[in-house]
Amino acid sequence: MGASASMKFIKKYKLEILFITPLTLYIFYFTLIPILQTIQISFLDRFTGGITLENYQYLWGKQHFKQAFGNTILITSLGLTMQMTAGLILALMLKRNFKGKGIFRSIILTPMGVPTLVSGVALLYIFDTQGYMNEIIYRVTEGLKYTGLLQETYRFIPINWGGGGLKTIFIIAFGDMWKVTPIVTLLLLAGLESIPPNVYEASEIDGASKWQTFRYVTLPLLKPAITMTIILRAVDVFRIFELPMILAGKVTPVLATYAFEEYRMYNNPNVSGAASTILLVIIFVFVLLYLKFVDKGEGLT
Amino acid sequence: MKATTETQKKSVKLHNEKDQGKKDFLDSFIKVAFVPMLIISILAMLSPIYILIKVSISKPVDVLTQHPTFLIHNFTGEHWIKVLQSGLLFPALSKSFIVATATAIVAIILATPASYVISRLPKKTKYIIVLALFFTRMFPNVGIALPISVKFIRWNLIDTHAGLILAHLIEQLPFITWILVGTFEVIPQDLEKSAMIDGASRIRALWSVILPNAAPGLAVAAMYVWLNSWNEFTYALYLSLSTNTLPLQIYYYVNRGGFFQTATYATILMIPVLIVTYALQRYIRSDYLGGAIKG
Repeated sequence: MGASASMKFIKKYKLEILFITPLTLYIFYFTLIPILQTIQISFLDRFTGGITLENYQYLWGKQHFKQAFGNTILITSLGLTMQMTAGLILALMLKRNFKGKGIFRSIILTPMGVPTLVSGVALLYIFDTQGYMNEIIYRVTEGLKYTGLLQETYRFIPINWGGGGLKTIFIIAFGDMWKVTPIVTLLLLAGLESIPPNVYEASEIDGASKWQTFRYVTLPLLKPAITMTIILRAVDVFRIFELPMILAGKVTPVLATYAFEEYRMYNNPNVSGAASTILLVIIFVFVLLYLKFVDKGEGLT
Repeated sequence: MKATTETQKKSVKLHNEKDQGKKDFLDSFIKVAFVPMLIISILAMLSPIYILIKVSISKPVDVLTQHPTFLIHNFTGEHWIKVLQSGLLFPALSKSFIVATATAIVAIILATPASYVISRLPKKTKYIIVLALFFTRMFPNVGIALPISVKFIRWNLIDTHAGLILAHLIEQLPFITWILVGTFEVIPQDLEKSAMIDGASRIRALWSVILPNAAPGLAVAAMYVWLNSWNEFTYALYLSLSTNTLPLQIYYYVNRGGFFQTATYATILMIPVLIVTYALQRYIRSDYLGGAIKG
């Protein structure tokens, strides 16, 4: 009975099954299985192949890993704050009508046409010790000195942006912001445009100020779009790899670059797998917590 | 629509006139700051690209000094000539090009039929599948690249085109399926039904009625996959030891400290992406992502 029913099902939908099978198999074999393998080897001993927690203990004792862990969290929080702010401001600007809006929109979308790696290289020149950002700061301070507002050149100039610490975390977050601001802007703009205009009308009639309208009308109605954008972006920033590789080298490791390093430099796939597994858990936990506590399921339903 | 905005404006105007005594700080701030903010945004978006190109065509005196210049004072083509003549550009360029093209073609072949089927599923099932595709994006790619790399060493696929194409498909298949489900969704089901009533077989109806309707969407999706593969760095790094793709070549020069080669290679990598992105700009739909998640 069961067998003949499933035969019937296969016969009726044979085209559909034929169409969807290759893709399913590919994702199964080249995405799902590898992920499970990574989790599996993270619990295996490198030499004996027995089950062990050694790899995780090793990571926990390692200063470089702790640094990578902290940097990942810092870059994600700083990066998300910066790009959501920039994206929201630009989306609000694009919501208004002004002359040359079409051209402005095109210019704002430019970073989409720049590969992440290339944006990293460009920022390398800007945030070099002898780079353009330091030159701007230098010229501004010189100008202030000339007008007498500043007595002497501060000793922190030139700033060594790539030398590690918070400055390097800032330039990585900045690079990520530059690259993704167009996407964030588009997602938030779509959200803004779905807010019906009569809501604004009502708030105007009630005599709300611009700030009140923004705070009590726009933001709450934008929450689904904000939630979606934050989740999409957070998943990517947690996994950030190219920008730290280009901008920071080894001074500012993140979890992804640390996992790569363990595999390629120290030829230690088990520890690399453990680092990847930790990253995976962080991403899952973040998304779940965000949906449960911040969004309470409003954004995704 | 227009009428509502008109009345809206009018009511705003009336309101403002009535309330002129009450100052709205944010409102006046926006009035003053709007144009400066436009200019700052434009500068912020364009200056990195300008600097990159500038470095690639500047003499070292302009760049390698305590105080680099913002304008191009000493133009030179020597970095470009050096890169073009070095013999290292074309192997990397051709590998990147072949891999990107093959990835786009295979992705279209695998994802088109599947996304057609998904787009015709009941709404709830479709939502679950699209969400599942999104979940594959949550996996860190270093976690996927690790076992893939171990596997490909065994299969002798390291440093081959085929290996990199297989790896790039991992990221691109969920992405393109996501886009194509959206494309097929908007093609009415009646189209294929009426073709079948006219006596066409199911396959024929799909091939000659549905596919031509989806063609623009397929082309745009294929272009995006091509660009993503062209830019891809992580899998290429895991799966290459002696050959380079263009992104790997850039990384190599960054590590070696080749200031001008880096800028030149980066410009070469960027040019096709910039052109195609501008050309495709009107097809960028933010609801590709939004619509997919919202089911």
